[in-house]
Amino acid sequence: MSSDVRFTDFKSDKQPTWCPGCGDFGTMNGMMKALAETGNDPDNTFVVAGIGCSGKIGTYMHSYALHGVHGRALPVGQGVKMSRPDIEVMVAGGDGDGYSIGAGHFVHAVRRNVDMTYVVMDNRIYGLTKGQASPTSRSDFETSTTPEGPKQPPVNPLALALASGASFIAQSFASDALRHQEIVQKAIEHDGFGFVNVFSPCVTFNDVDTYDYFRDSLVDLQEEEDHDPNDYEAAKEVILDSEKEYQGVMYQAENSVPYNEQHGVTEDMSEIPDGAPEDAMDLVREFY
Amino acid sequence: MAADLNWAIGGEAGDGIDSTGKIFAQALSRAGRHVFTSKDFASRIRGGYTAYKIRTSVDEVQSVVDRLDILVALTQRTIDENLDELHDGSAIIYDGERSWDAEIPEEMRGIDVPLKSLAEDAGGAIMRNIVALGAACEITGFDVEYLDESLEKRFGGKGTQIVENNKEAARLGQEYVQDNYDVDDLGYDMETTDEDYVLLNGNEAIGMGAIAAGCRFYAGYPITPATSIMEYLTGRLEEYGGHVVQAEDELSAINMTLGAARAGARSMTATSGAGIDLMTETFGLVATSETPMVICDVMRSGPSTGMPTKQEQGDLNMALYGGHGEIPRFVVAPTSITECFWKTVEAFNLAEKYNTPVFLVSDLAMSVTEQTFPPEAFDMDAVEIDRGKLVDDEEVQEWLDSQGRFRAHAATEDGVSPRSIPGTTDGAHMSTGLEHDELGRRTEETEVRVQQVDKRNRKVETAKNEEEWDYREFGNEDAENLVISWGSNEGALVEALEYLEDEDVDVRVISVPYIFPRPDLEDEIEAAEETIVVECNATGQFADVIEHDALTRVKRINKYTGVRFKADELAEEITTKLTEEVPAQ
Repeated sequence: MSSDVRFTDFKSDKQPTWCPGCGDFGTMNGMMKALAETGNDPDNTFVVAGIGCSGKIGTYMHSYALHGVHGRALPVGQGVKMSRPDIEVMVAGGDGDGYSIGAGHFVHAVRRNVDMTYVVMDNRIYGLTKGQASPTSRSDFETSTTPEGPKQPPVNPLALALASGASFIAQSFASDALRHQEIVQKAIEHDGFGFVNVFSPCVTFNDVDTYDYFRDSLVDLQEEEDHDPNDYEAAKEVILDSEKEYQGVMYQAENSVPYNEQHGVTEDMSEIPDGAPEDAMDLVREFY
Repeated sequence: MAADLNWAIGGEAGDGIDSTGKIFAQALSRAGRHVFTSKDFASRIRGGYTAYKIRTSVDEVQSVVDRLDILVALTQRTIDENLDELHDGSAIIYDGERSWDAEIPEEMRGIDVPLKSLAEDAGGAIMRNIVALGAACEITGFDVEYLDESLEKRFGGKGTQIVENNKEAARLGQEYVQDNYDVDDLGYDMETTDEDYVLLNGNEAIGMGAIAAGCRFYAGYPITPATSIMEYLTGRLEEYGGHVVQAEDELSAINMTLGAARAGARSMTATSGAGIDLMTETFGLVATSETPMVICDVMRSGPSTGMPTKQEQGDLNMALYGGHGEIPRFVVAPTSITECFWKTVEAFNLAEKYNTPVFLVSDLAMSVTEQTFPPEAFDMDAVEIDRGKLVDDEEVQEWLDSQGRFRAHAATEDGVSPRSIPGTTDGAHMSTGLEHDELGRRTEETEVRVQQVDKRNRKVETAKNEEEWDYREFGNEDAENLVISWGSNEGALVEALEYLEDEDVDVRVISVPYIFPRPDLEDEIEAAEETIVVECNATGQFADVIEHDALTRVKRINKYTGVRFKADELAEEITTKLTEEVPAQ
């Protein structure tokens, strides 16, 4: 494909079935623009989607894509990147996919630091199953399965990432289109696991964490002039701040060495000879 | 058949039983003798009885028997555990200086060797097992020099002094027996040959088969008895441009494998027990996204945590039917260690020719058993690789729809769709566990649903017609008694034939490596007067399938003690079973 890829090339001809006004529209647009802007094209991009409203993203985008099992998007994405370092890998899923059923994978994907991007469309609710509490729902958030609220603190995904040894932690807001795109772009360009938690409001089932709420309360780290994303202590402070929520790049490790480099996994593994490797009889002779 | 010798060393886990046994097995193999090893072990790092057993002969050996001729006993329990196998004249090597008082049964020969003291003379008590090997050499008439090469192989990395000390330890053991015991009457004469054999187990054969087949990616989570496949591949796969990754769990392992497979790498995962339960979650996705990959299940005793270090063939139904919904798949179960190699190669080809998951089902017995083979048994030149309908930049054009979109799930006549991988221009497409149209986009339209289900099942029909789903056969083809087996029981059955022949029991053995699709045995069963299905499980899962296929009843021999079949035991069971009434229709 030519180098003048437009973001619409990443769009499939399938019309999204997300509710009008869903944050996922903005999240997806930013992802497509960021992919195009960083010089990728659909034929060298692999998008892995989770399950839930967010998981539909693979269908609405055009690229190599897999929409898999609930919670397992990250392992799939890692398998792609480990075997094909030449391919751009982007994983997208929801807060349930990433922080509940897939939480174990999240921790280890972060640790491995595979050079890929993970976009979590965090709406703090289970939308596709029509409104149950998610791992990021507030403790007093009333839903059909938690009539008095979950009565447990929400997961702080950024802190979870930090504790797992993340090399890139960011947060964006679907409706702040330019900033969102810019932040995702930074995650793509990061040498390692670029994690972006995106506030992607559910207009149907979440009347607490709304567009208005984020618009009014979200603090942009870009405007907090003294925030240096390379400063671990500063990152810790904003991530653990219980008073405010932020958008921007909280943390970016300067010394990040991506998995493939760490393990010397540099080859395109899709290419193999027509028969056994030439020196394969040596493998047999090892057993003398 | 030439005389076989059955030797074992037993003690506590952590006593170095395994490595000592392996040294002896390698020495025998280097001396041109055939070897078949087996292990009794527990799921713990230290403590508990463990033993390494070797059956050796100048002829091929492919089973254990219920007989132990020479036992190196580091504990009393080793003797007690093996009383059934020990016989009049068995020699038991023990260390009388140790605190336990060995109770050697009267009719057996106790060979008291100060293993620890002699080892200390040679440079360290740690070598007491090697002293015992030297003693065993003297008793069996096996030249102690044959140990040298395997001692070098085992200890070479630790420096020449260590190697020399071990050689000395072996000689001290040999000389002690020579000087203090007359063992000529035992009559062992370990014949040697000029043959060059390799000695390997089933998991090593699977790992080697994977590399030969072009596997480049392996993700797994440690679990007995599958871990040794991963350990074999680690480091070696990298030499061929591949990678092994230890995942955080089996859910991740199978999904990483799926990711790599979709990216175009030949990929495999292996597990056992509860690991295969976890992986079941993803079986359906592999099948509906039409991803070619190999899922290996090295069966162990279940259910639940069961007996993790014991043998069982209990996962046949899991491999055939595991997962919700109807999942097209192939199930291949190698019947021997060489077949572990060849069926692995075949599994990769089947996966890519039909864009379908292939279950490679092995078991614990095969995974720990080492056997000797001529190296030509793994002739790498005979390995063929067929990548199926993998399309390149040009071929992809034939599969675009009118709007230039790649038809990744094209409903072809043979049911096999083209496969494009990332990087292929114009090949970008969606794959999903949702029902989808030809382009991979979700749909619930009834016509498309039926089209895709039929298409996926048609692949299996195509494979049934295009591929050979044959069985392996032993014994007399025209015998009136038919014994059917699957998986690792083959070796014991083949050797059981010799015992049966001595008893004038005429038997035809059919060993089935393909569980699905599988050979149609209706005619063979029809032609036989009696049919027995042999397997290591309690309910007879393969017998059920055979009865279903042939619409008849069969007799069953089931073993679920956690120990594999032995040739002599099996011969006896078959003889008994043949006299029993056929179960009611």
